[in-house]
Amino acid sequence: MTANSRWRNTVQQQQQQSNTLRPYLAAVRSTLTAALCLENFSSQVVERHNKPEVESGSSKEVLLNPVCISRNENERVLIEPSINSVRVSIRVKQADEIEAILCHKFTGFLTQRAEHFVILRRKPVEGYSISFLITNFHTQQMFKHKLVDFIIQFMEEVDKEISEMKLSLNVRARTVAESFLLQVGRQCTDVSIGNATNFLFFYCCYG
Amino acid sequence: MTSITDHLFPFGIAAHAYNKDRSQVAVCLDTSDVHIYDTTSWTLLTKLTEHDELVTGIDWAPETNRIVTCSQDRNAYVWTQEPNGTWKPTLVLLRINRAATHVRWSPREDKFAVASGARCVAICYFEEDNDWWVSKHLKKPIRSTVLCVDWHPNNVLLAVGGADMRAYVLSAYIKGVDSKPPPSPWGEKLPFNTICAEYVNPAGGWIHSVAFSPSGDALAFTGHDACITLAYPGTGAVTTIPTDRLPYLSMVWINEHRLVAAGHDCAPAYFEGQGDQWQFVKALDAKEVKKAANTNSAFNMFKQMDSRGITSKNTAEGKTELSTLHQNTITMVRAFRRSSEGVSEFSTSGVDGRLVVWAV
Amino acid sequence: MILLETHNVVLRDTLTKRFSSTQADPLDITFVDFDGVTYHLHTPTDDFHQLQLSVRWACFPQLLAYGAEALLQQQYKPFLSTTPEQGWHVTFDIDPRTIEGSKGEDVIRRFSLLKRNLMAAPFEHAFALHQQGDNGQSILTVPYREEESIFIRPQSDRVTVIFSTTFKDETDRIFGKVFLQEFVDARRQPAIQNAPQVLYSNKEPPLEIRHLPNLASGDTIGYVTFVLFPRHFETDEAREKTIDQIQMFRDYLHYHIKCSKAYMHTRMRARVSDFLKVINRAKPARETGERKTIHGRTFTPV
Repeated sequence: MTANSRWRNTVQQQQQQSNTLRPYLAAVRSTLTAALCLENFSSQVVERHNKPEVESGSSKEVLLNPVCISRNENERVLIEPSINSVRVSIRVKQADEIEAILCHKFTGFLTQRAEHFVILRRKPVEGYSISFLITNFHTQQMFKHKLVDFIIQFMEEVDKEISEMKLSLNVRARTVAESFLLQVGRQCTDVSIGNATNFLFFYCCYG
Repeated sequence: MTSITDHLFPFGIAAHAYNKDRSQVAVCLDTSDVHIYDTTSWTLLTKLTEHDELVTGIDWAPETNRIVTCSQDRNAYVWTQEPNGTWKPTLVLLRINRAATHVRWSPREDKFAVASGARCVAICYFEEDNDWWVSKHLKKPIRSTVLCVDWHPNNVLLAVGGADMRAYVLSAYIKGVDSKPPPSPWGEKLPFNTICAEYVNPAGGWIHSVAFSPSGDALAFTGHDACITLAYPGTGAVTTIPTDRLPYLSMVWINEHRLVAAGHDCAPAYFEGQGDQWQFVKALDAKEVKKAANTNSAFNMFKQMDSRGITSKNTAEGKTELSTLHQNTITMVRAFRRSSEGVSEFSTSGVDGRLVVWAV
Repeated sequence: MILLETHNVVLRDTLTKRFSSTQADPLDITFVDFDGVTYHLHTPTDDFHQLQLSVRWACFPQLLAYGAEALLQQQYKPFLSTTPEQGWHVTFDIDPRTIEGSKGEDVIRRFSLLKRNLMAAPFEHAFALHQQGDNGQSILTVPYREEESIFIRPQSDRVTVIFSTTFKDETDRIFGKVFLQEFVDARRQPAIQNAPQVLYSNKEPPLEIRHLPNLASGDTIGYVTFVLFPRHFETDEAREKTIDQIQMFRDYLHYHIKCSKAYMHTRMRARVSDFLKVINRAKPARETGERKTIHGRTFTPV
């Protein structure tokens, strides 16, 4: 497969996917809105403790059934609600090892800044790329509906960002390869310089 | 059905209670403090600072002018006003080892019930001999944290709801305090801890609020499944009203055929009916009070652009306000004023810091 | 901007400065070039005009064996010091006063291309072997970096150049794969069809050199093969150009992998700060009581 046809395939794939994206995000949005009905709840197991029940899991009756929303085998969201906290775990699409490494880098980048994101869980739940832990204290201090907006926007943009980064890596790689080989091949025949300047233009855009 | 007054505090309100003539209001902050405000000038009159953890419940007895507060620190205090206006706390011997979650004075104001995470309800009454508030525990069928309680008008029966997804009607008869109650649909002989009724929330879900109707002959409870269930022990009718909204946390009967509930939905909603014919009427979604324009608008605009990435182009996604008056969960609804028809005005408080009085 | 230069900038600039000024200050600098080449340029005696340049490169013995000796004799003979400085492979004595003005530029250029010229020796050697009709019997191995080598195999109709290169971490490896795949694919472009054929194999060494001992294999290593046909090295101009580019290949590849990583990093940083803005929208702008002016006085908005 040449670079160009590979790129075309990616675009086609993205178009197909966007048809399923809307219902997927809508399902996540309504589930999250319902799950974010939290209240302050002091532990009934340990005296004077107020911990996220979804993490401690010590009282079964204050946990709700987890909901897993899958778009396909690679992309899913796990929402684990409880009386005073919700854990939201997102598995980001990772079609190949480039996307996997970009996703890993990106989520690592975010978790390093967990204290700014407040609701970010430092360690993702196993099998997922990134997890959020939203407690009643967060919903008290922030607007619930905006927290939902944030997670939805995050899901949308993480996919887009990773696809774009992959595309830009491919474009860069092609430019780099072509400029190099053009240098070696040029003296053999009369090759117009037009292409090379084209590459330089690309390079400036992405460099 | 409009809001009459609307006050915005700079902190979330977990619970509120007015005094008898509604000239003062006590609000529980999302801290261990309770503030009492004058309701006309909104000046802070006093702070009740005896608790050392989050105050979860408050009730102001109108006739005896006593405030009871309970907290996650497992204590409750009864506050009485000294002649000089200061409030004096008296510790109540709750004997519970988990957080207290809710508190209500009985109609005659001689007892109060404290719900708790210790899987019991403490019924507290004053023992003259010891000059001391003591408590008896309602324990029997309760299997999890109690989240809400409500007194029957006869001063004896208590409705209890909690995280075990059941609503109970129990007897809180205290010998020496209560006189024998007249027979009611709930039962005739009512020694302490008689289980008069037990209702399972049909769709499951924790019971956030329970309320007896004004006559006491019907019980309403709301669950985390966003349903409201009405039970008539006289006829045995039990009706569940499903809604497509978010769970309700608190409710008030307006009269025998009407009630108002509010909660995570941020908008109070009306329900109407009788017997087994009940239905959802409407929610007060539309924002009926316009906020005054901010004086520092240019400053705020640039600040928003910087910290939130909101520009004039993306105001829709950057829009932070809901279309409802309350911008976050409503934690409590209370009757504000009564007329011969029933409740004519009610007040709501929310974690967004708003305290609103609505006309029915 | 995309391509790397073959000369050493520090060496060129320093020499240019020494050649252009009549004043001489004491000098002692040590600096590096690609592939672990180290230079030491200093004034050994009280005569500060007298410069000494020493070079160290781990693969120097191999280079000497593959024709660098002859190259040094041919290009740098007047400057060659009889005994190299202690701990260095080769040493040159340069005295700008003895070089006529017009020749200075040529000397500067020659020295700044020293590393390139040394590395060109095995290539020239291989091209010569090809001309002599060697058919794959000899393989020239230049271990130009600690764990990476260049293998040059002259054959009767072509010269095959194989690079082994290692990737330090997972990201480098995956990025490298993307880049190398593009090198393989790029030749399909009509404009580049005359470029040498590029083959890429991951983990396993290619057939041409598989019989050699001590070859590394594994996830972190990649082998890149360039097939050079006579058209790539028949004319002098073509030969110089090919050697220039091919010997810089490894550095070029890794340079662009690093650049891509840096770019991704910048991009993620920007995206993260965008996300922060989105989450900030959830925070209500509550008035936090009184506000203070810069002087500590309470500020009351009218």
